[in-house]
Amino acid sequence: MSGKAIAQRSGSSLATGHLWRMRSFAFVVVYLAFTLVIARSSLTVQSLVLVAAVFGVLAISLDLVAGMLGLYSLGQGGFFGIGAYLTTLVAAKYDVNVFYLLPAVLVAAGLTGAIVGATSLRVGGLYFAITTFVFTLVLTVMAIDFPEITGGTQGVLGPLFPDFPKFARPLGASVAWCIMLALLIAIGLVWNIRNSPLYPVLLSIRDAEPFAEAAGIRTASIKVGIFALSAAMAGGAGWLFSFLGVVSPSQFNWAVSLNILVMVLVGGINTTFGPVIGAVFVSMFPAVVNINPWLQEILYGALSILAITTFPEGIAGLARRLELSSRRSAGDADRSEPAATLDETAERQTAGPSEGRPHEATAADSEVIVECRGIEFGYGVGPKVLHGVNLAVRRGHIHGLIGPNGSGKTTLANIIAGRLHQQAGTTLLKGKTVDGLAPSARAQLGLRRTFQAAQLVRELPTSRNVLVGLFDRMSGIISRAAFWPLLPSGRRDGARMEERAERELRAVGAGNWTKRRVGDIPHGIEQLTQLASVTVAEPDVIILDEPATGLSMSEVDHLARVLARIKAQGVTMIIIEHQTRFLFPLCDRVTVLNAGEVILTGSADEVRADPVVRQVYLGE
Amino acid sequence: MASLLQFILSGLAIGSIYGLIGMALAISFYVTRVINFAQGQMMMVAIMITAAIFAAGYSPWLAVIAGLLSACVIAVLSYLIAVRPIIAFNRFSFGWLVSTLGFAVAVENAAAYIWGPTSRAFPQMLNETSVSFFNAVLTEQQILAIAVAALFTAAFEIVRRHTLFGKLGMAIAADPEMASAIGANTTVFAIAAFAISGLFAGVAGVLIGPNTFANPYLGSTYGIFGFIAMMIGGGTEKPSAAMFGGLLLGILSEGANTLINSQASDWFPFLVLVIILIVTPRGLFSSGSPLMRIPGLSRSAE
Repeated sequence: MSGKAIAQRSGSSLATGHLWRMRSFAFVVVYLAFTLVIARSSLTVQSLVLVAAVFGVLAISLDLVAGMLGLYSLGQGGFFGIGAYLTTLVAAKYDVNVFYLLPAVLVAAGLTGAIVGATSLRVGGLYFAITTFVFTLVLTVMAIDFPEITGGTQGVLGPLFPDFPKFARPLGASVAWCIMLALLIAIGLVWNIRNSPLYPVLLSIRDAEPFAEAAGIRTASIKVGIFALSAAMAGGAGWLFSFLGVVSPSQFNWAVSLNILVMVLVGGINTTFGPVIGAVFVSMFPAVVNINPWLQEILYGALSILAITTFPEGIAGLARRLELSSRRSAGDADRSEPAATLDETAERQTAGPSEGRPHEATAADSEVIVECRGIEFGYGVGPKVLHGVNLAVRRGHIHGLIGPNGSGKTTLANIIAGRLHQQAGTTLLKGKTVDGLAPSARAQLGLRRTFQAAQLVRELPTSRNVLVGLFDRMSGIISRAAFWPLLPSGRRDGARMEERAERELRAVGAGNWTKRRVGDIPHGIEQLTQLASVTVAEPDVIILDEPATGLSMSEVDHLARVLARIKAQGVTMIIIEHQTRFLFPLCDRVTVLNAGEVILTGSADEVRADPVVRQVYLGE
Repeated sequence: MASLLQFILSGLAIGSIYGLIGMALAISFYVTRVINFAQGQMMMVAIMITAAIFAAGYSPWLAVIAGLLSACVIAVLSYLIAVRPIIAFNRFSFGWLVSTLGFAVAVENAAAYIWGPTSRAFPQMLNETSVSFFNAVLTEQQILAIAVAALFTAAFEIVRRHTLFGKLGMAIAADPEMASAIGANTTVFAIAAFAISGLFAGVAGVLIGPNTFANPYLGSTYGIFGFIAMMIGGGTEKPSAAMFGGLLLGILSEGANTLINSQASDWFPFLVLVIILIVTPRGLFSSGSPLMRIPGLSRSAE
């Protein structure tokens, strides 16, 4: 790409950057004005809005794990209770400044979250929800059954929030400012994460965990970490809640946990304002609809059924969909379909050795970079899938791996990549034993892989999926995520990563599709996106699992050219493939597997000529 | 040792109730992969309708039949209103949580609105006669509960394993899209399964009604116990496992009350549940329990 084009691009992103800064500034001003009105209004209005705001913080804390990681936590009520009880009981006993208690509360709830997360995250989906549900249940029961400490079902009166000093009195109630600012911080925090490179990483953990692991992401620790952050936020909400009156078990029981999830789902999961809208609806409903309490509850039940069945994606989800469809019909330029064929010209432009990578000779006797020795593997019961498999892949080679279905090719690839662990034998990467290392650790050593069925985040554009591949190439993504768009370094690195991802997509010939969601692109482009997400990290070794499956003839030819160019940059590749017409011309060496055993390793010609191979594989 | 036999037998009796509700939850979960938060309300509706018809002067047995029918009707309504629209949109979304919870809230408060929040009389059935075994005493109602629970569990397993209807259920549980592709009418089947789940919950209601009396807020309490029974047992994989979970829960609660103190049944079963979930997240009697996982562990550890 020419320098002028880059200048134009960064110029345009600066302009949109300006726009959002203006918008966020306007939002904050309006928000603070609203806060002032609330802080100076009557106690009834205040308590109504402030309770809704506290639940807003809770709903945001849940959306962080449920929306971005798919972990439907029902433990938020429990963390909320930990925060509120800790504040109330310590403040009552030791008369400390409540502000000193905030960090203690955040740490206590966060640590509890980390422990609950670490024990329950090995089960996913519904079982995670149930385990966290039980956590809340146990805490409530404890709060009721130890009345000498907790005041039992009656509860205890929370501490008073310190007033403003005299000169600031016109601002109104200090507690209103505190809670409203906390909500603003929570909204900002999650908004920042959503606009950081961590966001596609989190979604990839949610939707395509093997892909995330293969990109060098330690998914388990990130899940525990984000869950701990969410728990700390819920604990902070408890700290806020303790200033609003009596703290009693019924405010933190399992029904509250469920209600928080209802707020998130009704408002719109994985949206910025959805959880707050849901919190306002659920918490204000009883006060605003002032009829017979039973009729009111019946109405509430009916309305929540109606809301979720008519807007399954929530209120904010519906708004987003409407906005999207109106934008689609308005922007004609955007509607023009990219050419269904691949972007050949762009590929030629960027062809040639890319920067930073020494062009290495691919002599036949270069060092061995991946080696398997005597690999034995079987899935539980049944016969061995791999039996004494030896494989040596030399640096700079394309090494083909062929064999009939069920011969153990993908299993071997999974063992090299670390998704499976062999029962006997050794795997070496760059001369070092990697047995027992997780896929993410192997990825960090320079080994990347693609999957037979592409594992990508369907709701994100291709370029953001490629961004996931850059995760371990950019330091400080996690530590900066909470403030990313606010940091100059974050904006700079984000633009650089985006640029890098788009360049890689152009390099593989998918440059016309960078803004398309993966859910909307054809299969061939999906395969190329997967390839780009791997090559973007400039790995030393790439394992490709049946990259040509399902591609058209011209797409296969295109892929062969792309792979040849990647090889020219000195990258080693192990390719599993059935289409020998595509594979053999590319390969330096080919290994043939049959029924879990290596029958031959040789050049493509040797393999093609071998009578045994012709018999078992080529079908003669 | 008098108390040992007594608390085991009383535990089995109350555990049968928990188990029936747990099975009701598990049956609807089996077919739709949805935890029906309104399940406890079906039990409550059975109790309330039975009490109302009995109070109007009809025979208690007629009242019981009407109560059971009403529980089935509520169950089918919960499917049509709160479950079907959600899974038709996205089988894997969590929207059902909102809708079944909303349904439960609506039913509970409708009952409170109609009959008032206070407890009403329930026919005493067999509660006034008791039988003693050695040194333990059970009411005939308790014996009836154990017998009915055993009968329902056995009948359910026989139907599931040996009839076309049951095998269809297994097929739908495994893969609803595949099952409907080979000609199973999943909607009709789900309605039938929900009616059965309503029957299980309703039976639990009329069995415990003589002890609890008729109160519109019973549904939530017993719904939670049924849920715990299902989780302890592993009913999410095999509905009848929820019955074993319920019996274990009943014995644990009674045992905690007898051996620790009178409040211990509030927290002791939960403690057990936490330990069980940490050891075997899918429940004690499921195929994923530790015994079954050992080969898997050795596979990945080597």
